[in-house]
Amino acid sequence: MAEELEDLTDEMKAAVGQETGRSTYEVTTQGIRTFARSVGYKDPKYFDESAARALGYSGLPSPPGFLGMPIFNPNAGDEGARRELFKNPFERRLNGGTEVEPIEQVYGGDVLDAVSRITTLELTQSRLGKMLIQNSETVYTRKSDNKVVAKTRGTGLSY
Amino acid sequence: MADQIYWDDVSEGQEFSLNEPMSSQRLIVWAAASGDFYQIHYDDNFAKNNNLPDIIVHGALKGMLVGRLLDEWKGEQGKIKNWGVSYRGMDPARQDLTVWGKVTKKYEEGGETLVDLDVGVAQPDGTQTTPGTATVALPKR
Repeated sequence: MAEELEDLTDEMKAAVGQETGRSTYEVTTQGIRTFARSVGYKDPKYFDESAARALGYSGLPSPPGFLGMPIFNPNAGDEGARRELFKNPFERRLNGGTEVEPIEQVYGGDVLDAVSRITTLELTQSRLGKMLIQNSETVYTRKSDNKVVAKTRGTGLSY
Repeated sequence: MADQIYWDDVSEGQEFSLNEPMSSQRLIVWAAASGDFYQIHYDDNFAKNNNLPDIIVHGALKGMLVGRLLDEWKGEQGKIKNWGVSYRGMDPARQDLTVWGKVTKKYEEGGETLVDLDVGVAQPDGTQTTPGTATVALPKR
């Protein structure tokens, strides 16, 4: 069925621009240190708040790209789950890529609202067969001052 | 910390890189940091049962290694405007990866002194798996 798809379905076309997910991300100081450790940072400002303050930061800064973790709660039901806006006939999925646009400095203690939308959908022929390319954007807004602190864009490949 | 780099001193074609060992322990720390607990990244049997040669490095970790490369290169006074990578190939763990950047354009726009770069991640044999681009603002002397 997926290989027979000649064009985006009406459901797919209607999904472009629609919200697919809404989550709350917590940026903890421990999260910043674990992220910095795993990525291999040695810069003291990502581990030691006093070193960060000596450089003029107002707290422990988050390295670029780290926007905390969504709050995990196994008892929260479907709240925060991704909305399926269309039936995807393709079974295999790949992460095609990621883009990060840091806008404001994020700090340990920040709580962010993350809202994701589909920006484009394209049906194409690839070396793996027919492929659906979905581009999405997530906007992260800090709850305490309502500032947009970052945007991320991702490409999902289904084939 | 690295010395501050200035826009005036950067030239097109300039290259810089990091050499990063990708141990299984590191991938587990990344799993904890990112919340990505897919077993192909840390469970040898699971990876082999999925026809993979070894556990593989998380794509997002490679993307954030590029972020670190840019963060350390720009210095305290620089600012990353954006960066992005495509995941074109898998990188088996337990090898060193080279994370690299190359200046492709140097210009002024909107009152900022900017640098465009090609970025990427390469395996020891030179295979490029994670090509991308970035824009960084650097201070002027």
